[in-house]
Amino acid sequence: MVSKHRNETIRKRHRFEEKTGWEDINDPVRDRASHKLRALIASGIVFVISIFYLDHIFQIQINDHELYTTKAEDNRIRVRPIEPIRGNILDRNGITLAESFDTFDIIAKKENIVSERNFLLNSQKVFKFEKKDIDRLKREFKNGRLKEVTLKKNTTMEEFTKLSVDQYLLPEMELIVKSNRRYIFPEATSHVLGYTGKLSENDFNSTVEIKEGMTTVGKVGVERFYQNLLSGTPGFEKLETNANNEIIRVLEKKSATRGSDVYLTIDAKLQNYTYELLQGQRGSIIVMDPHNGDILSFVSHPGYDINLFARGISSKDYNKLLKDKAKPLFNRALVGQYPPGSTVKPFFGIVALEDGIIDKSKVFACTGAYKLENYKRPFKCWKKDGHMNVNLSSAVASSCDVFFYRLAEISGIDMIHDKLQKFGFGQKTYVDLYGEKRGLLPSREWKSQSRQSAWYPGETLNVGIGQGYFLATPLQLANATALLASGGSSVTPHLFLRSIDRIKNEVSNFSYSDNKNEIEIDTDSLHVVNEAMWRVVYDKSIGTASHIKKIDSLEFAGKTGTAQVYNLDKGKTGTKSLQDHALFISFAPFESPEIVVSVIVDNGGSGSAVAAPIARNIINYYFENIKPKVAMQ
Amino acid sequence: MRYASNEFGGISSLLKIDLKLFVIVMMIVFLGLATLFSVSNGDNTLMFKQSIRIIIGLVAMILLAQIHPDNFRLFSPALYFIGLLLLILTIFFGVGKSADRWLDFYFVRFQPSELMKIFVPLMIASFYSDKSLPPKFKNLVVAVLIIIVPALLIAKQPDLGTAILITSSGIIAIFLSGIRLAHIFLGLVFVIGAIPLLWSQMYDYQKSRILSFFSPDQDVLGSGYHLVQSKIALGSGGLFGKGYMNGTQSKLDFLPENHTDFIFSAYGEEFGFMGVLILILLYVLATFRGMSISIKATDNFSRILSGTLILTIFLYVLVNVGMVIGILPIVGAPLPFMSYGGTSMLTVFAALGIIMSIKSHQRLMRK
Repeated sequence: MVSKHRNETIRKRHRFEEKTGWEDINDPVRDRASHKLRALIASGIVFVISIFYLDHIFQIQINDHELYTTKAEDNRIRVRPIEPIRGNILDRNGITLAESFDTFDIIAKKENIVSERNFLLNSQKVFKFEKKDIDRLKREFKNGRLKEVTLKKNTTMEEFTKLSVDQYLLPEMELIVKSNRRYIFPEATSHVLGYTGKLSENDFNSTVEIKEGMTTVGKVGVERFYQNLLSGTPGFEKLETNANNEIIRVLEKKSATRGSDVYLTIDAKLQNYTYELLQGQRGSIIVMDPHNGDILSFVSHPGYDINLFARGISSKDYNKLLKDKAKPLFNRALVGQYPPGSTVKPFFGIVALEDGIIDKSKVFACTGAYKLENYKRPFKCWKKDGHMNVNLSSAVASSCDVFFYRLAEISGIDMIHDKLQKFGFGQKTYVDLYGEKRGLLPSREWKSQSRQSAWYPGETLNVGIGQGYFLATPLQLANATALLASGGSSVTPHLFLRSIDRIKNEVSNFSYSDNKNEIEIDTDSLHVVNEAMWRVVYDKSIGTASHIKKIDSLEFAGKTGTAQVYNLDKGKTGTKSLQDHALFISFAPFESPEIVVSVIVDNGGSGSAVAAPIARNIINYYFENIKPKVAMQ
Repeated sequence: MRYASNEFGGISSLLKIDLKLFVIVMMIVFLGLATLFSVSNGDNTLMFKQSIRIIIGLVAMILLAQIHPDNFRLFSPALYFIGLLLLILTIFFGVGKSADRWLDFYFVRFQPSELMKIFVPLMIASFYSDKSLPPKFKNLVVAVLIIIVPALLIAKQPDLGTAILITSSGIIAIFLSGIRLAHIFLGLVFVIGAIPLLWSQMYDYQKSRILSFFSPDQDVLGSGYHLVQSKIALGSGGLFGKGYMNGTQSKLDFLPENHTDFIFSAYGEEFGFMGVLILILLYVLATFRGMSISIKATDNFSRILSGTLILTIFLYVLVNVGMVIGILPIVGAPLPFMSYGGTSMLTVFAALGIIMSIKSHQRLMRK
């Protein structure tokens, strides 16, 4: 066989030699040498290229080793935050106001979905979706802000386990535990508690501490102010995942730490009661303890459903709230700035006595109007016919305007501005909520700066009866009243009572000693004014609130205020929005005050007709329903 | 006589096998199997299948080693034209996932382009075997035609990678036949001139592949994803690697094609630079051994053929490794003796068999 082929070869060679002639026949020696040279060159190239390759691999494996190690770790390790359980918010008696609860959602992260079409097809199979569900999913896909699509909300573990049988169809599907917030009295407590929401860009530049892994954060109210206490610390799971994002194993796990429970000074029962009292009205009520600054009730009406926000409010609902004429989102108690009207008279009276501008028996005559030099129009008293001769006590009780016009004129704006400051007018109370307004206690300086104008004597007169430029928040009025009721030794108004860390079992109470709100008040002067405030309610002949139903068990003192929004002609009632604001400040019991109540009803009409009865009912309710229970405990 | 004096002669001489080349290659094969076992997470199915392919390859190698080189030379035109015919058939009847590269004969399914990897060098060596060397220009043109016709047919499938590889092995053959320097320059001009023409004929995915080669990071999940993950696998391996069975990139499926085209990266991840150094060294040694056989061969046909085949195998190594380390575009070329897959394994063992035939029959040519 072999020889046959060899013969064939030789025959071919012969034929070839015959055809081409001897000259062109290969020279075996030369061919071999030439081939050897080329083979060596080729081997050299092989060697050189190998070195070049190795150098390149060296670059990747040795020089860039760290870089690629990081990338490899990034590839395989996912850190999944574990959301902590947010602390509950409770009232002073331990009634829950806001609580956290878990829901299970089935979602799919968009980054894991390779084909949207297949995903929709398969999810239709697994979940037996109808067209509207598919449309919803499509919308969620389109929404660039969403990182995931939600397949099913509020499901249970059991249901997910059943669905997991089909996980091969939908490998992207995963169960997430969502901690949700529920508010028990969503509207009544809305302006106290605020609400939580998704963490946003703004939250990073605030005082709120944003911890790695947090997704929700308190947005306003107590939820915001005590965010750091309530939120707890997120934990994490370090997971090893493969390229399909399937979890291979848990490398490391740190549990989340539950947030502290926060107890508020609010009394839930009283809060709900006071909120209901403003039904159909717009306004604000503050009930607080004058001695320790505990705010028992903090109401701004109307409120809004904070549960809507906790669940993630739809833009439709949100716009509805924004467009509502009653402005439910507006926290009147905290940021509403009203002319305090006659409620300012007791405070003005005290500083005038203390300064010796008048004494308690000083009498001014009220003829129904006060004439100021260079002013054509007289300054009218609310009582057309005048109050005749009035001293401070009867001026407060009857709310005589002329007395205070005169007093303001002789005091001057500088004295009013300087002395009234001690009751907190024009300053924040520093209640534990963000966004508080400071009101306005006007001065010459303020006017020249903000209005580029000199102060006119007539303006002093207006300030003297709590009108003109004078503005105060409901909270400021309550705070000032608390100072009156406590004889000058109160505590900064606050909502925080204590917090309890359930993990460490640590209780931290509100520090009353660190938050003292003390001023000096001359006892005699205080006595005169407090008695005058008692007369407001009990002096049948002149007391502006003496018509209201009394409380059997105790006596209380107060002061009405009717703040003019606009000069309404007497006898005509204008549109509701132009009616006067009705105000009433009070404390009870008169002898040893335990609560302060401040009521403002926006455009409610007169303080004595509208605000005073509300305050009376609150005082009655408190001593009938709230205090006895506390005493029993 | 040198051959008889070989002390390891016994069985290997009986089987007409070159023991040195065989041992080097089997070491590579072993590393390949080990890596395969690792990337399949300890599941030995792939390894088992691969072992069968290796055995088939070895049988083919031994069978081919028995055949006298003259027979290859005589049958090469017939083989070449059968190969061409099959390629033409593939254009009409071919099947495949994204490109019609396969011929389905019901009982066996294979890529005719794979055959051409051997048939083209064979044809050129055979063509030059009875021509005067260095080749005249006329014979050069014929050789170019021998290369270009199958290359174009394969490029049409489309399988640009294989087309380029076959063209390159043809060029190696021409180089080894002793081409003149002037002709080399001429060839270069021709190739450079052909590039724009080739580009215009390419499919979009081929173009994007080549473009992604120049900036792989910009398109991480597209065609550049493979390269990025491959580099991460290699780079995270470091000097000594993550250890056998400890590669995270390959085991967690971040490294795509970790048992086929990217097995080198999987290997490099677990065995590090030292492992890579050893592997490259083995390939270089195998190539040198092949070149030594080529140098010692006694006629032009044997010299050109054996040299071309071993250099072609090394070229495949270069292309594969170059691809996974980012020197070359990702064209989808397996790593000889290591990548999982039947056809390529058979091809490289067949080439090895022919080389061994040349080695073991040289004594008979010497007179």
